[in-house]
Amino acid sequence: MGLLAWVIMGLALWHFTIWLPDRSWGGIVGALLGALAGAALFGLIIHGFSVPGRHATHLSTALEGIPGALIGMAIVYLEGIRRERAGGRALA
Amino acid sequence: MSDRRRHGFILLLVAGLVAASVVVLTQFKTVLGLDLKGGVELVYQAQRTPQSNVNQDALNRAVDIMRARVDQLGVSEPEIQTFGGNQISVALPDVTDQTRAIREVGTTARLEFYDWETNTLLPNGQTVASVLKTLPPGFAQNQGSLTPVQREALAISQGAGSPGGGSTSLYDAVKLASKQPAVSNAGCSRQQCARAGPEYFMFGAPGSKACATAAHDSGTVAVPGEQCLLAGPEQPTQDVTNAHTLFETCHCLPKGVTPSEGQVLTVPQGTVILQATSPKFSLNGAIPISSPTAQFYVLKDHVALFGTDITNPQQSTDQSGNPDVSFGFNSRGQNEFQKVTGQIAERGVLVSGLGTQLNQHFAVALDTQLVTVPQIDFKQYPNGIIGGGADISGGFTTSSAQQLAQVLRLGALPIKLRLISTQQVSATLGKQALHQGLIAGAAGLAVVILFLLTYYRILGVIATAGLLAYALYFYALIKLIPVTLTLSGIAGLILTIGVAADANIVIFERVKEEIRAGRSIRQGILTGYRKGLTAIIDANVVTIMTAFILFVLATADVKGFALTLGIGTFVSLFTAVMATQAILVTMGRSRLIGKPSALGAGKRRFAWRFDFMGASRYFFTMSGVILLVGALAVGGRGLNLGIDFTSGTRITASLQHRATIAQVRSVLTANGASNPTVQKVASKSLGPYVFQISSKPLKDANAVQTALQVKYGVRSFDSKTVGPTFGRTIANSAIIAIIASLLVISAYVALRFEWKFAVPVLIALMHDILITSGVYALTGRQVTVDTVAALLTILGYSLYDTIIVFDRVRENIPRMPRAAFSQIVNRSMSEVLTRSLATTSCTLLPVVALLLFGGGGVLGDFAFALLIGIASGAYSSIFIASPVLTHWKEREAGYRARRQRILSEVGHVPAFAAAGADVEPTAKRPRRTGRLTAPEAETVSASEFEQMKRDLELEEEPLAGRHTSTLTKRLAHTEPEAPAPAGRRTRTDGARRAAQRKAKAPEPMPSEETELAPSSQDDADAAAPAPDADAAAPAGAPDADTGPPAPAPDIAENEGVAPAAKSRPKSRSRNRRHGRRR
Repeated sequence: MGLLAWVIMGLALWHFTIWLPDRSWGGIVGALLGALAGAALFGLIIHGFSVPGRHATHLSTALEGIPGALIGMAIVYLEGIRRERAGGRALA
Repeated sequence: MSDRRRHGFILLLVAGLVAASVVVLTQFKTVLGLDLKGGVELVYQAQRTPQSNVNQDALNRAVDIMRARVDQLGVSEPEIQTFGGNQISVALPDVTDQTRAIREVGTTARLEFYDWETNTLLPNGQTVASVLKTLPPGFAQNQGSLTPVQREALAISQGAGSPGGGSTSLYDAVKLASKQPAVSNAGCSRQQCARAGPEYFMFGAPGSKACATAAHDSGTVAVPGEQCLLAGPEQPTQDVTNAHTLFETCHCLPKGVTPSEGQVLTVPQGTVILQATSPKFSLNGAIPISSPTAQFYVLKDHVALFGTDITNPQQSTDQSGNPDVSFGFNSRGQNEFQKVTGQIAERGVLVSGLGTQLNQHFAVALDTQLVTVPQIDFKQYPNGIIGGGADISGGFTTSSAQQLAQVLRLGALPIKLRLISTQQVSATLGKQALHQGLIAGAAGLAVVILFLLTYYRILGVIATAGLLAYALYFYALIKLIPVTLTLSGIAGLILTIGVAADANIVIFERVKEEIRAGRSIRQGILTGYRKGLTAIIDANVVTIMTAFILFVLATADVKGFALTLGIGTFVSLFTAVMATQAILVTMGRSRLIGKPSALGAGKRRFAWRFDFMGASRYFFTMSGVILLVGALAVGGRGLNLGIDFTSGTRITASLQHRATIAQVRSVLTANGASNPTVQKVASKSLGPYVFQISSKPLKDANAVQTALQVKYGVRSFDSKTVGPTFGRTIANSAIIAIIASLLVISAYVALRFEWKFAVPVLIALMHDILITSGVYALTGRQVTVDTVAALLTILGYSLYDTIIVFDRVRENIPRMPRAAFSQIVNRSMSEVLTRSLATTSCTLLPVVALLLFGGGGVLGDFAFALLIGIASGAYSSIFIASPVLTHWKEREAGYRARRQRILSEVGHVPAFAAAGADVEPTAKRPRRTGRLTAPEAETVSASEFEQMKRDLELEEEPLAGRHTSTLTKRLAHTEPEAPAPAGRRTRTDGARRAAQRKAKAPEPMPSEETELAPSSQDDADAAAPAPDADAAAPAGAPDADTGPPAPAPDIAENEGVAPAAKSRPKSRSRNRRHGRRR
């Protein structure tokens, strides 16, 4: 259940990347993967690599997906910028 | 075969099938499932025995034996089927005695004969026989000289397996057994073990909280100072490295008890624990093993004879007139029986002291309980019992002796079966459900017909005829196959009504489009059907694949839904596409459809001009907020999982006399239910005193029914018990089914379109499933196995709209070689939005009917999930999948360059490309093989050719001496009759100028452009001659779709009339696909 909450949270936050310039590595799909993987991974890390069960899932469990999703999307975005710059240098 | 003949043949086929269906409907009976008819359903999980592993062959043999047992019960039309590789479901319509059904159908009934004293173990681990041999002579006269162990051995020997005769508690028996060495598989094979693999038990400490919880759960009282059974015996199918982990995952512990609170004991292979004989025999054991009063013996698992060695078991009476079971032996049985009884007699002589006759025994066990432990009189049978047969006596009533004789006669099951789920449906509730289902179905059909008639007029009448034919065929197939009709099957049927109508809508909208574009009605119909068919087939293939996955992976309940969905989709392809096309084409010359307005294809009153891609940010934000709420709901409230997943018992009981919730609860508690939840519900059809009860899994729901019957009278009783194993199986199947569906759908979309189209589809599907999950969490509605089936259907159905949109995008890509991808998508969405809205409404209508009239049970569950999912699916197709596709495709170098060109020329990217920017894509030569539904190429007869001329209002120019007439050229590439008005260039106009320009001096294009405009660069340039006409047109400007109808080029159809390849050789040499050169 905890994993479901994290994944929904990741997907929810990803929707807001539509307001950002399209510079993520892999575009909007890359951002999605970053958000989902980030949310799930972060949740797993803070729970010692175990997924909270049905009765152990609370409101806070869903909120735990937020930092992971943001970090995941940020990594993908920064990597996109890095690749853009590298591409620009190569052209130059 | 000519077009006319083909359609004539189809109409004849339709009529013939209608007649055949009517015959089937009158001659065949509908097979109703348990949920509609009432009865009992039992689900078993198979476990291996030393004699057989769990495989399909063993399952089939078990099913055969169970079928024979069911026949003995006198049940008509039972359904026994295997699923999931190790489970068997037994549906017994009209059966009301669930306990008897359990007793007689699923009992393994393995009869085993043991040499009692040789195999029974004393607490110190020695066998009774070995200690008896040490008895001093004359021990009978001098009991005081016996050691405690010898006394114990004597007690067990002469106690003859009865409780108290040296028997122990379960804990002591398991502890003793756990200390025995494990016997290898080879050793077990030699000594004929009855059981395979170790068994695991978990016990709670005396006076512990865990014991108190377990006793509370089972409705008993913990015995002070004694260990209690918390869980087990568990027989895992795989090797267990950590037994605590086994109990962590088995969901078999009492609620609130963790594995760390218990002590795990393992009984190794080669040792067996048998329950002491009971004064009252019952096939399933008179006393539950967890009962504090149950007593046990520990034996070496060394079987002398099996039930397979006996013949002709019969109920008879012993010398005292008490019921018993007599039987004979086959030749092996005779030999073995003589051998073992001879050994027993020999030992009797050996251990009997002077003046003492100490007869020895053999034990007869049925599964895990001792039935009887008779003695062998060594004086009467010094060489053992030779020939003949034997009797089993002990605690039998006539009925129980008959039952035992019967199960022995039918043979033991080759595998051990564990009951993991039971369901009992009263006939009253079944009838009510059927009534609700039929009303919902009729209402669904009526509203869909009403919608079609209102919206499509004459076309609606034809679609209605198709729908009625569909309903007729479908019902006939259900009877003919026969498909057992269940509630979930009815839900599938109602959904397919919407799907069948959707196919018509997709085609009709296309037909209207073609007619509005300037085709004749007949050509519009032909072209509309041909072009619409691709999207329908794509969508239906996905639905069929999802139905197949459901059918393979789902439980018996949901299989009905999958089967009806699959059959319905096939049938609807025939009725909605082929039959209606034949009707329409045959009516092509009738006055009824002589005017476009009769088909609803008059002047377009409204055309979508909405910047979908521009607005997608707001829709994305909206979705994000909805999902955010959903995530918080899933975290905060969680999903309310039903007993299908969590295990438990759910009862709906309608009582004859007034009872309060407290009174009902006390009846339940007295019958073993722990902390049951009891709700009083209002139901006009079931009466004023209807209660819904849920609790932990009840061992005997029938006991509750009997108790309620005695106290308050029972009008109807509906119960379902799901064990933890079954719940886990369902949950796993659901996850596998969802993943498999997603993979199959992605693969199909990637194959049919391109892989980049598959990713937005997956995202949209994920969006739909997660939004539905969020809504379930938010509303607290129970998630059942039917919800999962509905979710899987949503996966298939949600794709319907997405495929329609993507199909149009795919079609428009080569038409708009200079447009930005967002412009292509905007235009595609504008073209198909009406269609999407119509199909969604048409599917939602029967689903709403299902929700309103289907009641709150299975149909209500389906309807709710489908309602949320279909609405979300339609939304995500338009506002999630398409924008994601746009964003992703626009990253491609080609589309990025187009966008930058437009930006540099105009300063911004308009929502829509300019009118007249299209080029006509190169037509592929249609493949004629195997495409029944595609119209024949118009290699027309003379009369048909004349008709086409009249349809197109063309006149033949009387030129002679040509291979290709002007008319055929014009048919091949229609040109406007009059010059196009200024500012509005037609495609053909552009193409002609391009050809002229090309003839003058073909200019090499920049490399990037060459990639972008994949077909003929000249075409592309010609198609978009100037920036102002191409991209800079204001959003509100009329385009080819909204302006007056222009004669439409019709390459594919005209290929049969004129060899278009000759007139456009260059375009033939290239194959355009998504703007790329191949």
